[in-house]
Amino acid sequence: MTTHFSRTGRLTGLALRRDRFKILIWILVLAGLMVGVAYKFTDIFGTQHEIAAIKDTLKSPAMVALLGAFKFTNNPSTAQIFSTEMVVFMAIAQIIMNIMLGIHATRGEEDQGITELVRSRAVGQLAPLSAAALELIIVNAIIAVIYGAGLGFSGMHGMTTAGNWAVGIGLAAVSLVFGLLGLVAAQLADHSASATGLTYGLFGLAYIVRMMTDVQNPDYTWWSPLGWVEKISPFYHLNWLPIALSLVTAIILFFLAASINLNRDLNAGALATRPGRRTASSFLRDPASLLWRREHNVIIGWIIGIAVLGMTYGSIYNTVGDMLKTNPTMQQVFGANVLHEANHAMLVNFTSTLVVLMAAVAAIPGIQLVYKLYSDETNGWLESLYARPLSRTRLFFSYVITGILSSLVTFVGAISSLIFVGNATLDHPKDGLTMFEFWQSIWGQLPAILVFIGIAVTIIGWWPRIRSLNWLYLGLGFISIYMGGMLKLPKWAQHLSPLGWMNKVPTNKVPTHDVEWANFSWMLTLSLALILLGWWGYRRRDLHMS
Amino acid sequence: MTNEPVLQINHLQKKFGHFEALKNITFDVHAGEVFGFIGPNGAGKSTTIRVLLGLIRATDGNATIFGQDVWSNSVAIHRRLAYVPGDVYLWPNLTGGEIIDLLLKVNGTQHSSRTDELIKQFGLDPTKKARTYSKGNRQKVALIAAFSQDADFYIFDEPTSGLDPLNERQFQMAVLNLKQQGKAVLLSSHILSEVERMCDRIAIIREGTIIETGSLAEMRHLTRTVINVTLKTPLDLTQLAGVHNVEAGQHPNEWQFSVEAKSLPAVMAALTEHHIMALQSTPPTLEDLFMHYYTTEKE
Repeated sequence: MTTHFSRTGRLTGLALRRDRFKILIWILVLAGLMVGVAYKFTDIFGTQHEIAAIKDTLKSPAMVALLGAFKFTNNPSTAQIFSTEMVVFMAIAQIIMNIMLGIHATRGEEDQGITELVRSRAVGQLAPLSAAALELIIVNAIIAVIYGAGLGFSGMHGMTTAGNWAVGIGLAAVSLVFGLLGLVAAQLADHSASATGLTYGLFGLAYIVRMMTDVQNPDYTWWSPLGWVEKISPFYHLNWLPIALSLVTAIILFFLAASINLNRDLNAGALATRPGRRTASSFLRDPASLLWRREHNVIIGWIIGIAVLGMTYGSIYNTVGDMLKTNPTMQQVFGANVLHEANHAMLVNFTSTLVVLMAAVAAIPGIQLVYKLYSDETNGWLESLYARPLSRTRLFFSYVITGILSSLVTFVGAISSLIFVGNATLDHPKDGLTMFEFWQSIWGQLPAILVFIGIAVTIIGWWPRIRSLNWLYLGLGFISIYMGGMLKLPKWAQHLSPLGWMNKVPTNKVPTHDVEWANFSWMLTLSLALILLGWWGYRRRDLHMS
Repeated sequence: MTNEPVLQINHLQKKFGHFEALKNITFDVHAGEVFGFIGPNGAGKSTTIRVLLGLIRATDGNATIFGQDVWSNSVAIHRRLAYVPGDVYLWPNLTGGEIIDLLLKVNGTQHSSRTDELIKQFGLDPTKKARTYSKGNRQKVALIAAFSQDADFYIFDEPTSGLDPLNERQFQMAVLNLKQQGKAVLLSSHILSEVERMCDRIAIIREGTIIETGSLAEMRHLTRTVINVTLKTPLDLTQLAGVHNVEAGQHPNEWQFSVEAKSLPAVMAALTEHHIMALQSTPPTLEDLFMHYYTTEKE
């Protein structure tokens, strides 16, 4: 049995060395966010007055859907507000890190033929898998220690040493569950793209289950592993059970991955690959159709995934837009018309935040497809195409236009399902959003998506090496929207990314009722300029062939 | 038909930063000839070919195919060109059959009976996903796509490195067939016996510079012939000009030595004076030439 694991330690060291820059950046960003925000939190929510103001907001269904349903005392401490705002969000980020590192270390290495080389040495059959699991455990443990100790130094009112460490260890344990889920998927699927898709699909499901149960009945949130982070409740009735549950689940997932690994061939997945077509269909004839043929599962996955997310957010419209729940006397005091207007205003506000969020997420498939232009190049896949009568311009625009269309369809689909499903759930349809407001939502964030894709295109045309910077930029933009209001970020921080360049729409504030068309035009011009700049660079530069 | 070469390369240079990958590449390839391009790993063969395909841009010098510049007219050139890369990378989730058809369609041609014939000859299973193919099978996909295309200029970059001997033979026959049809072929290869058998002319590249171009017969003149001779009377061979590596054989007056091509007549005359009893001469093989250029000239 031990021979299955021989040289695991050596491989773990190698894996940590291989991923050292990635790990370092993740740790810096995650720890910086967590500890930095904690450090600032006393300034933001130090006084009872400030806490009282945010408390009701956090109890509103809209916020519960975004951040999770937490319990706190009647006079919550700064630390309780902190854990409510930060824990689910930070878990999402740490889970993404775990999935990326885990799948890259297993199926990614196998795809590249590295595992075959390693396994030809005196290395146990389970050693590469165990090394990947150990890598995840070590990275999560480091983050847990930094969180636990860092929160201790923040001096937040109401924090406890046990609670601080519960945040660190809890996030590590729950994230590890998803990391190991990725390792299981890496045994099932036969290449890293489908393993990644499978894992994110399950993660998305966990997120949606968490959101639905949080809004309807938080007792059921136990059904989502992502919900377990909420149940730790670090600064109010601290509960270690979710952490134990996560660790047990992680162990079970490891044994599952190991047993699949022992029963499959190297380079094959547990799910068998069927033989395919003998000849190409008449559809497959040029670079654009080739890209679609290879990526349509991913593209459709994005469109459906984000549409489902939109629908789930839409399904809580009736709860969000019901002032009577929080303020039962309102109708008697102000009358039905004012009530409807207030409900409508709530919904408009809720929607405008979600629109920015959806735009940030919808930019991802577009950027990914544009970046494929470079990864396909370095994978050597474009060499056979470029030896044919095919201009760089044509190949370039095949990727760029597919990317733009994918993002746009994803975005429009998400907003449609959000608003139309949302309106359909309302008890009083007249509270709902109008067609005008729907189109405002679309036009309001469309240019931001295009600017992000434009930046991606310029990078691919000139400096493909710096392409992760665009992800960082999108991530920062996302954080400033998701957390900006809660953290009282300064205005300039919210205007940092294109997502904050336009006013939030729809809105019912009188002076800015409309999309800022001037901004709309110059952002559109900017993205077009960025795309043309990228095109110019791509036509001139040497192609990198492996 | 004009006599203008299909491929013309003049003093081609390529720098990657400070590294000079190509220093001076000059050679021509004509219609109806198979041109061998040999050199060790890292000498610049693939870099040269990538410049010819317009994938990377030359720093200096120029190259034309069909009289057109390889960088600015690459699309027009590629209509009449077929290429098989040294390392064939295929889209992992497409089948071999799909990839062959796609590559043909991008050229404006279609899957033909010739394609089916080639698939059968090379013994490829076109229904398998490219991810599951071995190196040889990936090369077959690229070769089938190239041979079922009707091009005027064919570039092969070490096309047989993963093929078994049977398929290698299929490849050689297909190339000879192209030559008979008057096509031009540029064949970069490590397998010197293959080059020796197939190529009309050869260029040898070392560290980014073409150091020799010509037919094998011409090149042989530049090196030494190995001679094994048994004489009736003693002779001190070391005194003769142009004779090297003299070794005594098993019998008295049996010698083995190599002689420079230009000294051959004089040496033969001297040997005849001492009554040749047995003589065996071995012309240099391409491998000898190759070793000659890479070992002696470096010293």
